[in-house]
Amino acid sequence: MDQLLFLIIEGARNLWRHKLTALGAVFSVFFTLFLIGVLLVMNDNTDKLINYFRGKYKIEVFFNESVSNEQASKLVKNIRTIPGVRSTTLISKEDAMSIFKSQFDEDVMELLGYNPFPASCVVNVIKQKNVSLSVEPIIHRIKSLDGVSEVHYQGRLIKRIESYFQKFLKAITYLSGVVLVISIIIISNTIRLTIYSKKELIRALELIGATKLFIQVPFMVEAMIHGLIGAVLASVTIAGSVIFVNAKLGVLYNVSLELNGIIIALWLTGIGLFISLLGSQRAIARFLK
Amino acid sequence: MIRLNNVSFSYEKGFGLSNINLDVSEGEFAFLIGPTGSGKTTLLRLIYMDLLPDSGQVEVLGHKSPKIKKNSIPFLRRRIGMVFQDYQLLDDRNLFDNVALALHVIGDDTADIYDRVMEALNDVGLSGKEQHYPSELSGGEQQRACIARAMVKEPELILADEPTGNVDPVAAYELVKLLEEINNEGTAVLMASHNYGLIKGRGHRIIEMQEGGIRRS
Repeated sequence: MDQLLFLIIEGARNLWRHKLTALGAVFSVFFTLFLIGVLLVMNDNTDKLINYFRGKYKIEVFFNESVSNEQASKLVKNIRTIPGVRSTTLISKEDAMSIFKSQFDEDVMELLGYNPFPASCVVNVIKQKNVSLSVEPIIHRIKSLDGVSEVHYQGRLIKRIESYFQKFLKAITYLSGVVLVISIIIISNTIRLTIYSKKELIRALELIGATKLFIQVPFMVEAMIHGLIGAVLASVTIAGSVIFVNAKLGVLYNVSLELNGIIIALWLTGIGLFISLLGSQRAIARFLK
Repeated sequence: MIRLNNVSFSYEKGFGLSNINLDVSEGEFAFLIGPTGSGKTTLLRLIYMDLLPDSGQVEVLGHKSPKIKKNSIPFLRRRIGMVFQDYQLLDDRNLFDNVALALHVIGDDTADIYDRVMEALNDVGLSGKEQHYPSELSGGEQQRACIARAMVKEPELILADEPTGNVDPVAAYELVKLLEEINNEGTAVLMASHNYGLIKGRGHRIIEMQEGGIRRS
């Protein structure tokens, strides 16, 4: 028990003894965890982002003038069954007239003596981020329905947004993998340098009869402390960045980023501990005969 | 205590030891002498199993190489105190912590460590300097600290590799006297040196090495 306590304290004291190398290691952990944290925040907010953009999609379907409200209602029900459609809103002939009246302050009935507006509907598409959305098939199905006169939609814009979104998802996935691998290599090399600077200590310990475990434990404790400090700094920086970005975004676009602070901090701590321990193990193994 | 039977060892670049036969008994004090490059350090490294022989057998305190398992070597070294020409003290901790490290390694109780370290420092004449860092000590004092670290765990054998190599003649004489005092308590000492003047006439066994072999024992 005394020995274990000594080894833990020794690991902690090594941080102070080798302040500069410890600073380098902590910075590497912090930097890589910050990148990973940014990716986690982006992943968390993808849903929100795609909801925001897809919420802007609007497909307006105008029926023939001869289509009655009842027939329009049936058509709307049909449209709702098309894959990719989340909801529909029927705008009856009367609704259309009152919308016109509210917007232009003109009573068409008084002017023309009849209601010229066709029934129509607004189609909302699905918002889930995991579902790839292609609007063309939906439009094609709607157009093929009897009674549909015109379909208005922002085809090119939707296509472009969806294509960017798919690229973004792929990029995030690849980037996460690359950042993780790079971070393990960077941390491993930093710790290797740290340990290289302590090869004298390792040699002295070997000569006085220290077992491999005795030599390894302080380095592992030290690496865990590097990981923890790096994770705390990265979590705080990410939280600060999200608050800053939200303050700016809120003013301009009235949207805000979500931050699952505790979950992200836990992830970063776990990853920080894992890569620090892995890095220290790899580095120590090189110096222990 | 130490037995070498037909031991040969060569480094990748050549040199080393050839066909060494040697016995050192419990409680014995022996000087290992010879010019630089004669194989003194290699012989000591074989004894504390930092090197394993190419042929023959090294037996130390019941452990035999080359069959010894790697994880048994630390346990052999805990029974051997080692003193080096370059001290091998750690610059990042004070004298007390340097000496105490040897006791932490063997898992001694924290409560005992303080008393044992202070006693060892007192025995080597470094009382009052326990808070000093190695860089604040003279060469002779650093070497005595190294001896304190070796003796604090009460080893059965002390191996000293040119311990007087970096100290002035007076300090060298005192170091040999210190090792003799430790030997008087029953610890065997094998000290390598190329300083014939220092060891001459002290009444101890002299093992003379030359070109990787034992010339006289």
